[in-house]
Amino acid sequence: MKTTAFTKTYNKRAVLSLPEMELPDGQITAVVGPNGSGKSTFAKILAGIEPADGKKKILSGVSVGYLPQKSFAFRMSTEKNILQNGNDPARAAELMRALGIEPLAKQRAKKLSGGETARMALCRILMGRYDLLILDEPTAAMDMESTLAAEELIRETCSEQGCATLLITHSIQQARRLAERAIVLHRGELVETGTAEQVLNEPRQELTKRFLEYYGV
Amino acid sequence: MKKSITLLLALVMIFSLAACGQQAAAPAPAEEPAPAEEPVSEGDALIVDTCILKEADDAMINNYSLLAVNPEAPFTDADGKAVADVAINTVGAAALINWLLSEEGQSLAAGYGFDDYGEYLFYLKDGRPVSSAEIPAATEETKLIRLSTTTSVNDSGLLGYLLPKFEETYGYEVDVYSAGTGKSIANAKMGNADLILVHSKKQEEAFIADGFSYTIEGMESERLNWMYNYFVLCGPSADPAGVKDAADVKAAFRAIADGKYAFISRGDGSGTHTKELSLWPEELGITAEAESFEDYTDWYVSANAGMGACLVMAEEMGAYILTDKATFLTFVANDGKIA
Amino acid sequence: MGSSVQKAIELIFSADPELLNILSTTARVSLTSSILALLLGVPLGILYGAGRFPGRKTLLILNRTLMGMPPVVCGLLFYMLFSGVGPFRHLKLLFTVKLMILAQVVLITPIVVGTMETFVADTAPELRETAKGLGFGRGKRFRLLVNECVYPIFSAYLLAFARAIAEVGAVAMVGGAIAWKTNVMTTAIMMYTNRGSFTLGIALGLILLTLSLIVNVALSLMQGRLSR
Repeated sequence: MKTTAFTKTYNKRAVLSLPEMELPDGQITAVVGPNGSGKSTFAKILAGIEPADGKKKILSGVSVGYLPQKSFAFRMSTEKNILQNGNDPARAAELMRALGIEPLAKQRAKKLSGGETARMALCRILMGRYDLLILDEPTAAMDMESTLAAEELIRETCSEQGCATLLITHSIQQARRLAERAIVLHRGELVETGTAEQVLNEPRQELTKRFLEYYGV
Repeated sequence: MKKSITLLLALVMIFSLAACGQQAAAPAPAEEPAPAEEPVSEGDALIVDTCILKEADDAMINNYSLLAVNPEAPFTDADGKAVADVAINTVGAAALINWLLSEEGQSLAAGYGFDDYGEYLFYLKDGRPVSSAEIPAATEETKLIRLSTTTSVNDSGLLGYLLPKFEETYGYEVDVYSAGTGKSIANAKMGNADLILVHSKKQEEAFIADGFSYTIEGMESERLNWMYNYFVLCGPSADPAGVKDAADVKAAFRAIADGKYAFISRGDGSGTHTKELSLWPEELGITAEAESFEDYTDWYVSANAGMGACLVMAEEMGAYILTDKATFLTFVANDGKIA
Repeated sequence: MGSSVQKAIELIFSADPELLNILSTTARVSLTSSILALLLGVPLGILYGAGRFPGRKTLLILNRTLMGMPPVVCGLLFYMLFSGVGPFRHLKLLFTVKLMILAQVVLITPIVVGTMETFVADTAPELRETAKGLGFGRGKRFRLLVNECVYPIFSAYLLAFARAIAEVGAVAMVGGAIAWKTNVMTTAIMMYTNRGSFTLGIALGLILLTLSLIVNVALSLMQGRLSR
């Protein structure tokens, strides 16, 4: 699918200005860039949480699932939280098992730790079927093992469901492990886009090189 | 988080209650020699020191009057605009007045207080209005009678003694609204009373002059003054101002002012307050206005409180005070005991 | 204090009919007014907290102003409105329990609205982002938001009840503290204080606090259960 070109302005200050972009079905596209580069705003606009300038439509006829960076637990058990997005207990149990939160199924979700809440939220979003799945830093609050399990789950779901996946991440390693394609943003502008292999290993742009160096890659 | 706060609050309350409880329990076994706080029955430590020093003086007569509220009165709303259709229960008001002035009502009122205090609290006036009118039973429309009165009348317990008898016999329901005379009359002027029972001649006359009262059938005047008693001047038993030996009550007030002995004034625009203001030597110029006693604050205490609260204050300060006799006798009967 | 506690206990066990009448009037007034205020205030608070509509800021400022309204001013206003010469005189509501409840509802609803609004304004954006991200429609988002509110509704109710049962200014003005009819705990305490019967006043105060304690404990227990 394609996103149309758009701009986003806050208080008369342009924060995002992006050209048309391609998000291939069945593939994971990583969005990388330093803090404040506009990654999260990009995700929110695509998800329809925030409008682009002129309330422009960026995607049309596409169902979008979006996992915000900050996970929110509804006031109910972990399991019920997940079942909110599709009443399929077997699938819910499978997802919880994959992320190791099955023992917490009956617990109050509000009492989960940050990492546990993030895993619950990932299970919850993966219960749905969307044309485009946007995950904003899904593993930022998780430990190493959970992160690897989550990555595995994301990869599986994407290829099984054949949906386009947009993965916002600040981790170059994660982008390399998971993504087929990559988009580099800097100060609200597109720096470079292409296959993950090319962008993250042989960047053409000076900014991308500096960014990679900064993260020690 | 919020739950723990709630529980914390609950605990604080339990503790404060428990603390009070301990205070209650502690003195009994712990303290052998009785300090001043021990119950009255133990000795004469807590007998009220304040006593009646001057009474039955004509200048201290306290006249009680009934006034029916005129349904045609020039009622005005808060903006001063005339309001025509104010609902006044004239039938109910007349029924209550006729009963209070009937032989039964009058003898009940005159006998009130003897059983409790060994003294009569109200006296019937010579030449008082008397009614022998038939009293109609209450109907749905006339059932509720709104009586606006003063705290001292209410606190004397007279109405609580009289009204149930009237209500039971005729099926009426009397709502007693009690406040200081000023507020109680203002309440009636706003159309919230069917009759008033007050004890301030000046204010009653103004009420009539403004057209708020009328003469009910069979009566000769709007102002039905049928009962009286006396205000009494009380003070410490030692009587440093020598009030007891003063020629009359005005001389007594002069003695208090000259010697700058502490005096507690109600200061709340009540009938008692109005009476007190009329008893000071004129050259002092004491009125209800705060500026008028600015120079006397070293001895003149304007309390702005009820009669009972003022009596407690007078007892504690060893001050002089003007009070209605009924409240004073109640106060003494309770041994002036407070917490 | 000790004699007051003793007096309070005596009073309760004497089952004095006037005291029982005062207690039942108090319960009727404060329970009814706090529940009505809750029914009105919770939807308004959610609307103010989660809604986006013109005039919302103005309404919030108005509500915060009303939260600070002195009870006696509220009472005076109702006294004037429902007085024999007031515009609503034909309803004949002055010095009735109904009007006391009405005045308290006006007094307390802003507090419920304010409490709910603060909570919802804090929670709603995050919840909306998450629920919208999951693709939930308006109806389901609203139901989830209401579900989040169960806990703060208890807190709001406790506040409302506490204000209702402790309030004296409005009920004294509007109710007139008429014996057997509109006299409640707080006005009775005022009356006894004015008469100089401080012991009795404090005894009533202790009973009032105990009642408040019982209601608080009961609600806290319920809250603990429901918050699961």
